[in-house]
Amino acid sequence: MTNFNWLVDGSIVGVYLVATMVVGIMVRKYVGKVEHFLVAGREVDVFLGIASLAATEFGVITCMYTAQNGYKYGFAGTTPGILMATAMLFVGVTGFCITPLRHAGVMTIPELFEKRFGPRVRWAAGMVIVLGGLLNMGVFLRITGEFLVLVGGFDVSHLERNVVVMMTVLLLLGTIYTVVGGMLSVLVTDFLQFIVMSFGLLAVTLLILTKIGWSSLAATVAERHGPGGFNPFVCRGMGWQYVLFNALECLAGALTWQTMISRLLAARDARTGRRIYTRTSFFFACRFVLPGIWGIAALTVLAPEALAGLPQTFQGQNSSLYAMPVFLGQFVPVGLMGLLLAAMLAADMSSTSSYMITWASVIYNDILAPLRKTPWSEKRGLRWNRAIVSLIGVFLLFYGLWYPLKGDVYAYLLVTGTIYLASISTMLIACCYWERANSWGATAAIIVGAAIPIACLVFEQVRNMPPDEVQLWRCYSGIVAFAATGAAMVLFSLLKPQTAPPQSTASLEPPVVHSS
Amino acid sequence: MDEHGFWWLLTIACVLWYGTITAYVAVRGCFEIRKMLARLKEDRPTADQQPQ
Repeated sequence: MTNFNWLVDGSIVGVYLVATMVVGIMVRKYVGKVEHFLVAGREVDVFLGIASLAATEFGVITCMYTAQNGYKYGFAGTTPGILMATAMLFVGVTGFCITPLRHAGVMTIPELFEKRFGPRVRWAAGMVIVLGGLLNMGVFLRITGEFLVLVGGFDVSHLERNVVVMMTVLLLLGTIYTVVGGMLSVLVTDFLQFIVMSFGLLAVTLLILTKIGWSSLAATVAERHGPGGFNPFVCRGMGWQYVLFNALECLAGALTWQTMISRLLAARDARTGRRIYTRTSFFFACRFVLPGIWGIAALTVLAPEALAGLPQTFQGQNSSLYAMPVFLGQFVPVGLMGLLLAAMLAADMSSTSSYMITWASVIYNDILAPLRKTPWSEKRGLRWNRAIVSLIGVFLLFYGLWYPLKGDVYAYLLVTGTIYLASISTMLIACCYWERANSWGATAAIIVGAAIPIACLVFEQVRNMPPDEVQLWRCYSGIVAFAATGAAMVLFSLLKPQTAPPQSTASLEPPVVHSS
Repeated sequence: MDEHGFWWLLTIACVLWYGTITAYVAVRGCFEIRKMLARLKEDRPTADQQPQ
């Protein structure tokens, strides 16, 4: 049983859903070109950019894995958020890589690579970005569906059926406005979703802090996790390898994660893009700390046997993932429950729609378009983009249904993200700042950067590893992937005979820099 | 400051930052959306290039 009331809470959720769909579909009339569809005509300013980036990077899946981190590791579980905030601040303040990237006037990172490494590298980079991105996003829907079933108090004896219904409805809602309005609809709905999501997040956190109290939360962490609950370096299941792998992932993510970069590339100019990064940076700490508090609250309030009553699917190594929704279902009162669910739906829809449009932009711009001798007309290009977004939706539904998730959700997301983060971030840094970098190095980086995480995923599926071992295995393999990719880039670039002087990184600069 | 104090400060900073930034972004973002849509309206292709 949960506190969800269909009349009160259901109405709040209904109003939110109708408002989002109306707004998302209304802006369709402003989409006339492929550039409008993919990067909103590059007209995004600072505050819309902040709202959109924050909404995109906080989905139900984020809330679930950050709360799981809080439940399993205490306050130390928020370490990735602090690292991400630091990485965003560093990149935003220095303009490291993102300034030359925005100056180049491209729509995607692989398009930039074509200027330095040639069309084949662009195509291969597009492939690994899409592969890593779609595998990463593939688990979003199922986790969201499970969250809604648990918090909303739906019948868990028909768990699979209810999760599938939730997944399908959520996907349809997000896909409809993304297909018709592209990035423009995504941005405007992101803005609405950011506001709803923030109110819900804050209200529930304040309720926890006032009703349960900080002292109880800290005492529970001290009792259950000891010093490791406050220090990631001595926390069981974390340690230096976890911190190092996360630091690498966070920097690479800030530089190349397609949903972040799409905001930079949609920004009016490089300065606006940097300000979006700088001013959103602390949000990345918040997105781990606030749901982390929810997870710690679940640890404080729920009796250990509370999770034993869950269906078999939720038992086993990943049961800690479901502690937070079970806790919220019992803790949040009627009325606030509606706001919470609307907030979580907002979080999910903004992430799903943004992720679909950004991966679609890479498929269209870097995988399909280069294969054609003559470019598509604007009309045809828009049709292709809409078809690609729809097909991504179909993939997400089927992958979410069939992929058996093992270990931490966050660790899975890190590994799948590494498939492209390691190679693309290495290539981007080399492309922007190392004149000796060339196509041999780039190709080697792509192969090595993708092969190690994929081998890791296959290996852990084949060999039945215990959860703690999976976690460590993923951290080590991630660190090795970054190191090996960097080495491959340098080694193979140096091995390629120099037939002509290397292309200067200055060629990435535009003739005239657009200023606000 | 002990390690509990650090996490307490961080939690409070997150709540305050989130509350402040949400209100500020909500107001400023509205103006930016209006300006963005106005600029895109001017940039729309002519009737014969409109998508169907």
